[in-house]
Amino acid sequence: MKRHLPFVVVAGWGALNGVLLAVLAVYGESSMVFWLWGGAVVLLALVALAVLAACRSGPDQHVRYRVPDRGAGAVVPAAFGLLLVALAFVYGLWLLALAGPLLLVAVALAVRGTTAREE
Amino acid sequence: MTVTPPTAKAVTGGRPVPPSGWLGWVTSTDHKRIGVLTVGTSLVLLLAMGILALTMRAQLAQPEQQLVDTHTFNQLFTIHGSGMIYMVVTPFAIGMGVYLVPLQIGAPGIAMPRLTLLGYWLYALGAAVMLAGFATPLGAHADGWFSYPPMADSIHSPGAGSDLWIAGVFLATTGTIVMGWTVLWTVLRKRTHGMTMLRLPLFSWSMIATCLMVIGAFPALLAALGLLAVGRADPSIFDHNVWNIGYQHLFWFYGHPVVYVMFFPYLAAVAEVLAVFSGRRFFGYQGTVLSLLVFAALSMSVWGHHMFATGQAANDYYSLTSIALLVPAGVEYFSMLGTIAGGRLRFAPPMLFALAFIPQFLIGGLTGIMVGTPVIDYHVTDSYFVVAHLHYVLFAGSAFGLFAAVYFWFPKVTGVMLGHRLGRLHFWLLVIGANLTFLPMFALGYLGMPRRVSTYAAFEGFGWLNLLSSIGAAFLAAGVILFAVNVLWTLRKRTLGRAEKAPDDPWGGHTLEWATSSPPPRLNFTPEHPVPPVTSFAPLLDLRQRQEVTAVDRSPS
Amino acid sequence: MRQRHIFGEVFTLESIIAGVVFVVVVAVFVYALIGRRAGRQVTASQRAERPRLEAYYVGVLAAFSVFLVAWTAWQNHREHQTAAGPPVRVDVSSFQWCWSFNYPQAPDRRTVSGSCRGDDLPTLVVPTGRPVQLRLTSRDVIHSLWVPHLRYKMDAFPHHVNTFTLTLDKEGRWRGKCAEFCGERHRTMHFWIKAVSPDEYDRWLQDQPGGGQGAAV
Repeated sequence: MKRHLPFVVVAGWGALNGVLLAVLAVYGESSMVFWLWGGAVVLLALVALAVLAACRSGPDQHVRYRVPDRGAGAVVPAAFGLLLVALAFVYGLWLLALAGPLLLVAVALAVRGTTAREE
Repeated sequence: MTVTPPTAKAVTGGRPVPPSGWLGWVTSTDHKRIGVLTVGTSLVLLLAMGILALTMRAQLAQPEQQLVDTHTFNQLFTIHGSGMIYMVVTPFAIGMGVYLVPLQIGAPGIAMPRLTLLGYWLYALGAAVMLAGFATPLGAHADGWFSYPPMADSIHSPGAGSDLWIAGVFLATTGTIVMGWTVLWTVLRKRTHGMTMLRLPLFSWSMIATCLMVIGAFPALLAALGLLAVGRADPSIFDHNVWNIGYQHLFWFYGHPVVYVMFFPYLAAVAEVLAVFSGRRFFGYQGTVLSLLVFAALSMSVWGHHMFATGQAANDYYSLTSIALLVPAGVEYFSMLGTIAGGRLRFAPPMLFALAFIPQFLIGGLTGIMVGTPVIDYHVTDSYFVVAHLHYVLFAGSAFGLFAAVYFWFPKVTGVMLGHRLGRLHFWLLVIGANLTFLPMFALGYLGMPRRVSTYAAFEGFGWLNLLSSIGAAFLAAGVILFAVNVLWTLRKRTLGRAEKAPDDPWGGHTLEWATSSPPPRLNFTPEHPVPPVTSFAPLLDLRQRQEVTAVDRSPS
Repeated sequence: MRQRHIFGEVFTLESIIAGVVFVVVVAVFVYALIGRRAGRQVTASQRAERPRLEAYYVGVLAAFSVFLVAWTAWQNHREHQTAAGPPVRVDVSSFQWCWSFNYPQAPDRRTVSGSCRGDDLPTLVVPTGRPVQLRLTSRDVIHSLWVPHLRYKMDAFPHHVNTFTLTLDKEGRWRGKCAEFCGERHRTMHFWIKAVSPDEYDRWLQDQPGGGQGAAV
């Protein structure tokens, strides 16, 4: 139980949402609302399951950590690539022709593991 | 890379980080750098959004003024509101979590650091895209921060500014969701040895509640923006009422939880400051933790109180859940008041801001019960009463928590002390300014002044209350300028090596971040600054108390 | 004016409660500020919690919120009870940026509108003492009909009709406004609501239509 407390917190919180949603059903609302909030409750249940899986596979508290930084150089080109994708919806899909190569650069950097030296 | 955080006995170590070039900053996977980037970006945007607000207050100071035309005014309130909520107060709150949570739980880094960095970049680029709207021919988006269709469709709001607003808010919110995920995962799964869930500092607990709301509710905003984007391509979908009212549900399903995302981290920062400067453990820890979780769950159920006047919402239910919020809120006040009423108070600048939070946020909370009551809300919704209420919550409340946090953690983050004298002046200007600006707005709304009007007629009698409010805004401007000067001057002095160096623990802190050096090394703890034994939610306080006991035992009686 | 009266009762009670809570909190706050400052050589309490006291306190809060929820919900229902007797019906149509009021019960199905520029505001004429049912819709974007004096507003949606009932118990003329942001001339989208005696109303309703005289009563 102690080891699974993170799961209990997330699952309990999702369940509390479910209870409040059930109360709303008593009052009645448009069906869209139940899809919306029901979807959120399902999402939270999935989060709880992910936390449960993580809790079962490792200790609750840590003495050893992974601090990954391989390929961090890919983040900035990836973000600018996504920016161009978003702007393509404003200024036309031709921007995807620019976004594509940029995202490919990001993938290449990630695969190569390029990271700026922080020391 | 795999590391072991040093405990008192271990000899494996972190590496110290000398300041390096800009590339080291913008691609850093160090949670502290990502946190500083996020918080710094949102503080710069805070100044910009403040300038927009001051322009509006200048125009509204007297009736029938036309400093800017109506269309420009509409852009100002839209970008001020959107900017403050999407790009300042929310990201600052999450950014604090990115910086502080790994330190508070004794971890050497954040979970998924590269994803966190991506989150920051999406947020920063999103903010730039939204603001770029001002450079388009028809100007920035001009339909308020909640942008209901059909008003926001391409027929009634033409121009690329609105499209850029959608793209920018979408990017920034995606970034916020990503950061919310990594902070939540960190606090749940990266705690150091001894840091059980019930020994988490209050701030870290508040980030659990906050990030759960981010994960559960923020995707609804992405859906709402998607609906708006579709509607801008094909406005005929808004010929169906279901999409108009549906947008409001989608939007407010995000739009109310975000209010608590902009509240809990600041409340918890205030709680930590109150405890430290009261020289005692925070009072009623377990009750507060529980109340935060209940508060967060209830906050997912209250969104419809923004729609009381639509005639298409289950008003009784949303009123029930909104009023029920007074129970967890009351528990939090019980704990805050209990902490200071049994404390030994020291009035340093962080404490001043934290103390002012208590009565000022209370005004926002009590009027919140009023606007949560349908019978009252019918009259005051969409009026200046609501403007006053939300600014008491977000400015007189959260922004005071924000400044308390900045003064409190500045020494830890930068390694130098922020000027106390300017800090006090900043505080008093802000207290006068906040109350003088926002208190008259309650009366204005009650008397019938709608929000989002670019000016008002002289015969309506709103003149002198608006004048008071605008004078208050001048005090706010002066206070925030002093704050900016204080920060920039202190950082300049640090560069010159003349600033007052901050010790590891300048305030007598309770939580693990005060056990390491100021600023903390790359991996947070080193053999010289090991993670102390975690014995409760205030491990450093325990340590001091044990040392005192030992000292008393050893002294000859 | 049921809305105004109910608003008055609820607002007064909640203001008093809010005032009392505020005074109590500030009293504790000021005690701490003065009595517990470090300069007075006090020592910080070691007591980490008072679960019993807190439990009672939560009980009081919960009971109080139950009262508040129930009482305000009851007031809300009282406000929306439909009055006895057939109502006077007015179809209100809002548009960018003015209002039009249609009286389907008038022999000529009278419509009153205006441009909302300068003093050209349309007037909604209603009889005193009789329930008036407003059927509210919009021709373009969402607007909101707000009469501050009546302490009530309701949103007007396109492709949807919202209905509410007003009863005015004294004669007079008050200003109404659009409360939902609707674009460029949102701030001048005003109208007049004018309550006249039932006799005068009937006379006005039976009047032959003539160049906008309805607006000028």
